[in-house]
Amino acid sequence: MPSLLEARGVVAGYGRGPDILTGVNLTVASGQVQCIIGPNGAGKSTLLKVISGLLPARQGHITFNGKSIENLRPDQVLRHGICLVPQEGALFPDMSVRENLRMGGYIIDDKTELHKRIDEVLEMFPILKERSSQRAKSLSGGEQRMLALSRTLVVRPEIVMLDEPSLGLAPRIVRQMFEIIHLLRDRGLTIIVVEQNAIMGLKNANWGCVLDLGKNLFDGPARDILDDPRIRELYLGKKSQVA
Amino acid sequence: MPSRQDVDGILAERREYDGELANASSSTSQDRAFKTLLVILAILVLFPLVTLSGYNFNYVLHLLLYAFMYIAMASSWNILGGFAGYISIGHNVFFAIGGYFSGMLLAKFGISTLLTAPLAGLLALAVGFAVGFITLRVRGPSFIISSIALLMVTRIVFDNWDFIGGSNGITLPQMELPVRFVKVPFYYGMLTLAVITLVVSYFIRHSKFGLGLRALSQDEIKAECAGINTRLYKIMAFAISGFFVGAAGAMWGEYLTYIRPNIFLVILVAANMVLMCILGGKGTVAGPTVGAILLIAFNEFFVSQFGASQINILGTGVVMLLALMFYPNGVVGTLEKKGKLPRILNWG
Amino acid sequence: MEILQVVVIGLVLGGVYALMASGLTLVFGVMKIINLAHPIFIIIGAYIAYWLFRLYGLDPILSMPIAMIGLFCLGIAVYKLILEREAGSARYAEMTVLLTFAVAMTFDGLLGFMFTSSQRITSPSYATDAILLGNLFLPKGQFYAGIISVSLIIVLWAFLRYSRLGYAIRATTQNRDAAQLVGVNVALVSTLTFGIGIALAGASGALISFVFSFFPSRHWEWIAMLMSLIVLGGMGKLLGAVVGAFLLAVVAALVSTYIGATWSTLTFFLALFLILLVRPQGLFGEKME
Repeated sequence: MPSLLEARGVVAGYGRGPDILTGVNLTVASGQVQCIIGPNGAGKSTLLKVISGLLPARQGHITFNGKSIENLRPDQVLRHGICLVPQEGALFPDMSVRENLRMGGYIIDDKTELHKRIDEVLEMFPILKERSSQRAKSLSGGEQRMLALSRTLVVRPEIVMLDEPSLGLAPRIVRQMFEIIHLLRDRGLTIIVVEQNAIMGLKNANWGCVLDLGKNLFDGPARDILDDPRIRELYLGKKSQVA
Repeated sequence: MPSRQDVDGILAERREYDGELANASSSTSQDRAFKTLLVILAILVLFPLVTLSGYNFNYVLHLLLYAFMYIAMASSWNILGGFAGYISIGHNVFFAIGGYFSGMLLAKFGISTLLTAPLAGLLALAVGFAVGFITLRVRGPSFIISSIALLMVTRIVFDNWDFIGGSNGITLPQMELPVRFVKVPFYYGMLTLAVITLVVSYFIRHSKFGLGLRALSQDEIKAECAGINTRLYKIMAFAISGFFVGAAGAMWGEYLTYIRPNIFLVILVAANMVLMCILGGKGTVAGPTVGAILLIAFNEFFVSQFGASQINILGTGVVMLLALMFYPNGVVGTLEKKGKLPRILNWG
Repeated sequence: MEILQVVVIGLVLGGVYALMASGLTLVFGVMKIINLAHPIFIIIGAYIAYWLFRLYGLDPILSMPIAMIGLFCLGIAVYKLILEREAGSARYAEMTVLLTFAVAMTFDGLLGFMFTSSQRITSPSYATDAILLGNLFLPKGQFYAGIISVSLIIVLWAFLRYSRLGYAIRATTQNRDAAQLVGVNVALVSTLTFGIGIALAGASGALISFVFSFFPSRHWEWIAMLMSLIVLGGMGKLLGAVVGAFLLAVVAALVSTYIGATWSTLTFFLALFLILLVRPQGLFGEKME
């Protein structure tokens, strides 16, 4: 399968601090859900920030569809077709649900197309439609997450990167999140998911990577990673039973 | 081939020698720096004796005592603005409080401000506590606004308060001394104030209080989490920084022989304090002194060439802009960062 | 009757103050810059209107667009040359305050040098006329200034609410990172917002040129006043600034009539201290932390 996004030797850190990523190589193939797992502080979120342009890379290259995208501004990265949904603070708290969706489609020039897509998304998510004129900050945690995810359907990038979509949510809502993720994939989007909940993340993915010590240590089909005894011991908990 | 023991022995000797060298250099040059400062101080203390010669040194005396005053005020401002990072642009409110308090005592009871200056300082301190209690509840932005609002309020109140002369102010009696000696008492007064302010500033900087202030200037929330009572520290810094400015104001009033709102409560006085700290190095002990000397020298040169006028404000603004844009750490700060700070200025 | 008169005058002035404060609030909301130089730009706008009137007889209301365009450009220049370099720096808040303070002083000195410190006021014919509305006696100049100010604020509001740039500005104000992630070029938005903010200052300057007498150093008084009402309303909230402006203007007008004119400016400052004491985040602001 053609690789859509490729990172080679990416080194990055915050401010003048130490390198968090110490040379990450990553390949993302088109049309699948890729899950990145790893211990806390390994740099999973950092990697997403670097790809999206929020954080500059100190070294390394990132190519998307053959084009070099390291050190672009986040809005430029988005226009290339990569969208990041951060862990928190993805929404505009004082804007309504509808306005948030409208902002999701900020780079869409065609107004009619934009509103068509907003309406479609609202149809897909009845809860959001119900609350369409409510302020984003008044939604529940799960609803906010749903709104953040559904916003990507308005702009329809090639790659959506999700930073811990299940964080802090009740199990039932988490299942909903992953349903949405599958829906996005079925719509032709490529998804990169960073997940603390490794088992859940891998179970719902096609491909997996393990980020540790600032590098991508293990890379392979999600199922293989789940079954791999080394990984199970290191990252999934020795006694975990994987069905 | 030298044996292992030989090498070890040599290394040990070398280390010892280096150690002695290091100690020697630091202590002798520290000592030397300190001694140089004492010599300078001695010269300044003895300088007024030249007035006995019969020549008129009033211009130099004036310039020096003006410098001492601003050294004290800038260093004082620095305690709040530099150490704690809270920018007050209406700080001359304390100047006015001190000036008027002592000025009124002088006018009504004839007591020289040189005696009442400490009291004026205490009044300023008390006001600082009271005001700080309200205005330091919030962080940076609102505080800055409140500092200028305070200045405006004080200006309006003083302009309309007949008891203290309103906008015309009050003329104060001059000291009974021959013309060539009349500046000398104020010279000593301001010199004393400057020295005390610097000493206090030095001690604060090197104390736990100073450490706390520095912490809260970097990240107030984290400092609070670390257990520092940021509110108390801020208010204390504000009050202390008012004390010396108040005392300076007290003496300045008698020196000028009049107290008027449009002298004490113009923004230029506060702007000068801020600019001196920026030029010299905000947050260092020596910075404000360097900045004060620089700015006053620059001002004097400018006035002698172009005459005083609105240019003053324009010049202050431009200098501040350039300093902020290109040398935000000031003279002392920049030298410190580059490791080239001469010991004589390395006060912390 | 008298009290209604005072209140109405207060409301009219409130509109003027609201416009004066709007640019300041906008800039703070988007870039978290406290622009101490904002009022000096208002005064520059006033001088533009004054000289266009004196030299060419151009009505100050008609100079308003000219002042706006001129100050938009000046604002962008100031931002790009002086303020933008601080974006993202560690001591951003402190530096921007000091920088705008220095800019304010620079223009203060420059204006004083060019035009001396004499008090000026533009005197188009309507400045001395009055309108009679029933029992109310409204000075025409103030009335026009008030109406136009309010109209401009409504235009601003609509712009922010419905236009694409307006969305971008609001988004950047509410969540800078998220705005970037949905494709907003926040650097460009910041620059434009600053320009717009200063343009609004220019507009209010042209309007107040026939309402208040002005001279270069007056900006210090106004910065304290405008800041007070912004803190009252909640920093960064346009609605808060507008409400604060009307509220304080009415109170100040009442104070001026029943206690004394010199004390009316005091109202703003006392309100500031009061709100800091009681509700530091302002009427519409959110608790910080």
